[in-house]
Amino acid sequence: MPTDSEGRRRIVYCVGEEHALRDILPEAEAAALLSAASRAGLRGVRVVDPGGKALWGSGDDVPPPGEGDPRRPILLEGEAAGSVVLPAGAAGGETQDALLALLADALTAMAHNNLKRMLVTETHTEVVNRSYEELLETNRSLSASEQRYRELAGTLEIKVRERTEELSRAMARLVQQEKMASVGQLAAGVAHEINNPLAFVTSNLRTLKKYTERFLDIIARYQRVFEQGGVAQQDRDDLRKHRVSLRLDAISEDAGDLLRQTLEGTERVRKIVSDLKGFSHVDEEGEAPADMNREIDRTLSVMRHEIPAGAGIVREFSPLPVIPCRPGAFNQLFLGLVRNALQARQEGLRLTLRTGVSGDRIRIAFADNGPGVPADLRTRIFEPFFTTRDVGKGKGLGLTVAYDIVTAHGGTIDVEDTPGGGATFVLQLPIRRGSHDQIR
Amino acid sequence: MIEYDSEEQRMVLKFVYYGPALSGKTTNLLRLHDLLAKEGRGDLMVLDTKDDRTIFFDLLPFFLVAPSGLKIKVKVYTVPGQVQHDATRKAVLQRADGVAFIADSRRSEAKNNAESFGNLERNLSIVGIGIDKLPLVLQYNKRDLPDILPEEEIRRTWGATGFPVVLSSALEGWGVVETFRALAERAYDALDRRYDFTGTHGLTRGSFAERLVRRAG
Repeated sequence: MPTDSEGRRRIVYCVGEEHALRDILPEAEAAALLSAASRAGLRGVRVVDPGGKALWGSGDDVPPPGEGDPRRPILLEGEAAGSVVLPAGAAGGETQDALLALLADALTAMAHNNLKRMLVTETHTEVVNRSYEELLETNRSLSASEQRYRELAGTLEIKVRERTEELSRAMARLVQQEKMASVGQLAAGVAHEINNPLAFVTSNLRTLKKYTERFLDIIARYQRVFEQGGVAQQDRDDLRKHRVSLRLDAISEDAGDLLRQTLEGTERVRKIVSDLKGFSHVDEEGEAPADMNREIDRTLSVMRHEIPAGAGIVREFSPLPVIPCRPGAFNQLFLGLVRNALQARQEGLRLTLRTGVSGDRIRIAFADNGPGVPADLRTRIFEPFFTTRDVGKGKGLGLTVAYDIVTAHGGTIDVEDTPGGGATFVLQLPIRRGSHDQIR
Repeated sequence: MIEYDSEEQRMVLKFVYYGPALSGKTTNLLRLHDLLAKEGRGDLMVLDTKDDRTIFFDLLPFFLVAPSGLKIKVKVYTVPGQVQHDATRKAVLQRADGVAFIADSRRSEAKNNAESFGNLERNLSIVGIGIDKLPLVLQYNKRDLPDILPEEEIRRTWGATGFPVVLSSALEGWGVVETFRALAERAYDALDRRYDFTGTHGLTRGSFAERLVRRAG
């Protein structure tokens, strides 16, 4: 038995089944014709099947048809499907022959047309049923796929949530890395700056060590002379010669200078360490009151070594109210903005740091004279991973970190054109928090 | 096979003329009707058509009697070629003993021929007939028209399949009887293997074909 593509058994209607005359020609249709023929002169005329068995006839008072009785075939698909027979003894003659032929032809035509109609009906029904089955099939598979998509949609939400969490974690890791890299760069610069005084402090101490050995030497000789009880002329001469040979006068003078220089060196290191501590606010947990002018200065002081000799950094500070914030984070932000400016222009950089109060907000502007930021990129530069630098030269997270710090504080950060060319990053920070959350 | 009744000594076979729309399937049957002797065949039955296009099928029956007394009726059908009548094609193809695939020789029809042949393969498998077991004859019809595929190309394409290829012009009446004869012979080979026509029924390949394909006097 044939099966469809999914292995279901399917009965296919077969064109060509053989039909018996009885199936094609209902007795009711033939009877009227037969009785008319009987009245017209074919008394006792009958229809027999190919086996000779009588199917229909007019009247029961006539004997069954015999082999030699006059007959005419009724054709179905070109074959004799039966015959019309006149019983023996019925009136014969030319008229009867013609009538018999006429009857046979009429029944043949009737059967032929009935067969055609049956075939058309059967085929039509088959086609309709098949179309209906196919529609049901389509409906079933559509329902199934709808169900599948519903389930998918359900799990999709969970998957998206999971992936989003994963991405947030990855992003947080990257931001942390970015901060560490920024600190690392600072550390390298600071190390270099500490190295310098450290080198000459070490060298001075070595020299002082030698001087100290000579001082101790002469002290020991004095000691011996005194212990021998008296200062003879000979001893005095020897001690003077020895003092000269040790160049004690010269080194006494030098030792003072060396000690002063060394103390200066350690003071420089102390200052650097203090700047760093100030910059990082390493001793403070969370928020602390801060003067932004001071914080910017702290940032500039730890960056001294990064700023090339030719760069002009202009401070146009106005007095600012102290605001509670996470100063370490803001210093990180200032550091990033100054570095961006340093990268924006290699030579002839002029960076103006302007602070002031505007309404209930502190306004801090970093205006450089670099190439500026094209208008179409101004919102995008704060997006994570957006960078115009070459691959490997920046992750595109610097300004994202800045944006996060400012918005966490309830402030805003934007970029504008510097009159005459360049980019100006403008921070606006609420002086009193809570009153400005609507600013965004 | 539609029917085999060994007691009644009666066998009803089915041949199907398949092919793309307007390739000349009905014209083939009309020509067979005209060219072959009235004895041994019935009349052509043409079911309702629309604009002269077959929408159901056509039927031309043939009759012969084997020396053993086995009465054999061969019903030759056409299918509707138009794509939308696929359900009818399946019903006609069901239990076929042989298929003549009527292709249109014009280059422009190559795609339709290929699609129709693909449809034949698919429908054969749906009605449970293996194409490798089925007696199949190809007819490249419409050789009277311009811009047709050259014979070498046709032979090259089909040579490997082993299917007999007949060139014809049903319109001009040539190649039609040859196609029918080729189909009869291929069908005989398959039936002989199963029903021992030669031994049990004394019916040879030659006489089977001769009796089916009697030219009108």
